[in-house]
Amino acid sequence: MTYFLYPGCSLEAGGSHYLVSVEAVAHALGLTLKEIDDWNCCGASIHYVGGTELQTKTLNARNLALAQKQGGYDIIAPCSSCYIQMIKTAHEFEEEPKLAEELNQILAEGGLNYTGGVKVRHVLDVLYHDLGVERIAAAVKKPLDGVKVAVYYGCQTTRPYGEYDSVEDPHTMDDIMEALGAEVVPFEHKAKCCGSGIFFTEMETCAPLAGGILGEATEKGADMIVTACPMCQMNLEIYQSRLNKILGTEYDMPVVFVTQLMALAFGGDFKRDAALDRNIVSAAEVLKNAAA
Amino acid sequence: MATKAYDKSFREEVYQNVDSGEDVKLCMQCGVCGITCPLRDEMTHGPRQLWSLIRAGKRDEVMNSPDIMLCTSCYSCKVRCPRGVKVIDVMHGLAHYALEQGIVPRKETSKFGKAFWDSIYKTGRVDETEVPMRYTMMAGPIHGIFNMLEMMDIGRALLSHKRMKFKIGPGLPPSKKIKGMKGLKKMLNKAKAMSPGKEG
Repeated sequence: MTYFLYPGCSLEAGGSHYLVSVEAVAHALGLTLKEIDDWNCCGASIHYVGGTELQTKTLNARNLALAQKQGGYDIIAPCSSCYIQMIKTAHEFEEEPKLAEELNQILAEGGLNYTGGVKVRHVLDVLYHDLGVERIAAAVKKPLDGVKVAVYYGCQTTRPYGEYDSVEDPHTMDDIMEALGAEVVPFEHKAKCCGSGIFFTEMETCAPLAGGILGEATEKGADMIVTACPMCQMNLEIYQSRLNKILGTEYDMPVVFVTQLMALAFGGDFKRDAALDRNIVSAAEVLKNAAA
Repeated sequence: MATKAYDKSFREEVYQNVDSGEDVKLCMQCGVCGITCPLRDEMTHGPRQLWSLIRAGKRDEVMNSPDIMLCTSCYSCKVRCPRGVKVIDVMHGLAHYALEQGIVPRKETSKFGKAFWDSIYKTGRVDETEVPMRYTMMAGPIHGIFNMLEMMDIGRALLSHKRMKFKIGPGLPPSKKIKGMKGLKKMLNKAKAMSPGKEG
């Protein structure tokens, strides 16, 4: 099975451990990932400050056009912000003929064309629906016995269309975690917002949102939060010390990517495959005991 | 009792000039968006009230509302709206429209967003070292350096965990451009010219 990988800007920097582990998981499960050559940024959540809506759609239409030209495989966008921007443009291109025509007029400026039909997929979608929980469970060599996880999807991961999981009460990542042998704690914040793209610039305002997530995970006795969104991972982890200052809390909660735990449970190397040495709030102790 | 007619000019302005502005017409004022919003307690109006103010012609209240830039883009309202209003896109459209007219709904997000878009427009991608540096330096040379120092612990942690590229300062070294940058720039310029309120 061959897919395009759209890493997006985040997986090249703050989310580098996501990229390493996505590639390790794909390798372990027999997926071939090809990076879309010369991809550009999707615009992310604060595109609107500098750009118009049509400009943001242009960014995404260019990536779709490149993907079509380079083979037309389904695109895996592991970053939830990339996923939502790209899938919105892909859907609206199909649904609104006037927009499709406009986008092709624009793409022509750069010698490109898009006829529609390229599918945009979240990494959870491909793992759950194309591979399935049974195949994931069969690949486990070192089950995550005794590891308690709060499964946090974040807000954008299954939205806005809910194509592969519920927009209100998603379960795909819960099921994957159980297949790895982890214990999933009940988690009401699973699809609540952490502050997303304005977290960094509105930290005082967004602190209660992120605090609610870290707080519930702590209360429920989770060893770590598991997520599939680099923005969530960054907001909840890198700025955890700042949040503790703002909220007067003492959270010490690792936040890891779903693919990091998969890579580890598949018997991969802690650093080379799971990139768990790249987490600032370390999950090493509990994981090393579990997957020893 | 004398009745006063609503001023319809502002709603027409929004329908024509604001990205996705016409979606305001679909709203039936149920209020699901407002109550769903994770930052509802921080907002003065919230989406439903803003739509109502647009229809009532309250230009100043809408354009000067900091709420239009407090949207986290979580899509909770979008997925719950029974009328299918693109709530997020309208909020973003209003914020963009206000900024174009020199109104700054939220100062820090405006600055960061500008640095973010500049990076896309110049290189095709967002450089996660460059953009925060440029944003930080927008506070001016003295405050900028002070703010930069305050961020040092985060920067150091990211660097030592292989999650950030090293730069001495903004543009040092310059961020890499995508190969098709020339074409992308042409596309973005064309898209801007074709956007609502920009035609002709």
